[in-house]
Amino acid sequence: MTKRDINICVNGKWYELAVEPYETLLDILRNRLGLTGTKSGCAKGECGACTVNIDGKAILSCLTLAVQVDGKEILTIEGLPKGAELHPLQESFVKHSAVQCGYCTPGMIMNAKALLNHNSNPSEKEVRKTLSSNLCRCTGYERPVKAILDAARIMRGKDER
Amino acid sequence: MKEGFFRPREYHRPNNLQEATWLLSSFGKRAKLIAGGTDLLVNKPPEVECLIDVASLDLNYIRKDGNGITIGAATTLDLIERSPMFSAGPYVVLSEAASNMATPTVRNMATIGGNICNASPAADLSLALMVLDSTVKIYGLDGSRVLPIGAFFEDVNKTALAEDELLVEIHIPMSPAGTGASFLKLRHHQTAIDLAVVNVATRLTCSDDFCEDARIALGAVAKRPIYAEKAKRLLTGKRLDGKLIQEAAEIASKEAKPIDDVRSSARYRRRMIAVLVKRALELSITRCET
Repeated sequence: MTKRDINICVNGKWYELAVEPYETLLDILRNRLGLTGTKSGCAKGECGACTVNIDGKAILSCLTLAVQVDGKEILTIEGLPKGAELHPLQESFVKHSAVQCGYCTPGMIMNAKALLNHNSNPSEKEVRKTLSSNLCRCTGYERPVKAILDAARIMRGKDER
Repeated sequence: MKEGFFRPREYHRPNNLQEATWLLSSFGKRAKLIAGGTDLLVNKPPEVECLIDVASLDLNYIRKDGNGITIGAATTLDLIERSPMFSAGPYVVLSEAASNMATPTVRNMATIGGNICNASPAADLSLALMVLDSTVKIYGLDGSRVLPIGAFFEDVNKTALAEDELLVEIHIPMSPAGTGASFLKLRHHQTAIDLAVVNVATRLTCSDDFCEDARIALGAVAKRPIYAEKAKRLLTGKRLDGKLIQEAAEIASKEAKPIDDVRSSARYRRRMIAVLVKRALELSITRCET
């Protein structure tokens, strides 16, 4: 026995894949599904660049095996926009210039998405605590924090998810 | 496949404990259990040929009854951190330890069973569970057995688990009234890879300033987490004042047997044990009164 068949739902679409027991979800997303928005930073759980949502919760795709997520629903940065319309978190990161090199950004946004799933009105402290999972080596955290708080405010107004 | 790479060829997801123990016993040392993956997939041990996933064993729960609180081994740290069962009384010591670990995203994945089965001498949850007099339920080919958590840790990364056994759940008995507990950790920064320089948990049962019972657990100062037994004996039955607390803290630091490593020198560790034990005892006393 080597490869195993799994069924995973990524951004609303189901895929059937044969995977090795040691392949990570990150490997699968990037190399098999071509979803390169999810970044590989340290590949050992330290940087948060590979953060995706599984069943609405932020998890590290580099420390998750593809075989472990059989039957699960996965949301990546590519699943956030609705057609040509960016998600409010993405809009807000652009508006606040919360991006420099951009490598940590998808992880930060997916982490923020999971936070807002269960807390639509987070305090600045809660946002900062959440972002402690994500390492940024360019801009720092001021602008991402502002961007997330602003996006939360806009999303509450729209009452969107 | 080249030697030296993590390349397990098999993956199993047993549906019950018997199946899990059969797999464990038939693969022996070549098998490794996987839960959150936050230790295993960081270390990626090349000798592992078979992964046994605990995901379908239904070990993700926190239950309370008249005897105490029971936590399934595959319960993630974020649930422990947020559970109302660990928001009051001496049980807060467990959520304090959980929230002091790694990053929020890692805590969404890492499990209590993984943390204690990894048997790091610096593991945060171990100390909290030790001062709460927890027991662990182990399941193997011969059925189940129960051990006090202190006896579960044998050496660095070594537990009392036999090859065919797995940890099922952790039980925390109800503490008597007038009991307070606390957890403190000395660290550099709280990141995904940050381990304690030293960590301490204490629990006191007080009645009119008298210490009826005490527990002091020390981490990162021996090959496994240890109880400071002499310091406990000093406190028990005595009137708690600043002098006694200071004396207990100093005795605890002498019970520690730390080493020099990249995180700290042995000398600094010993000094900091005295500081942390003193502060943790003071904090536990204030919690006894409420």
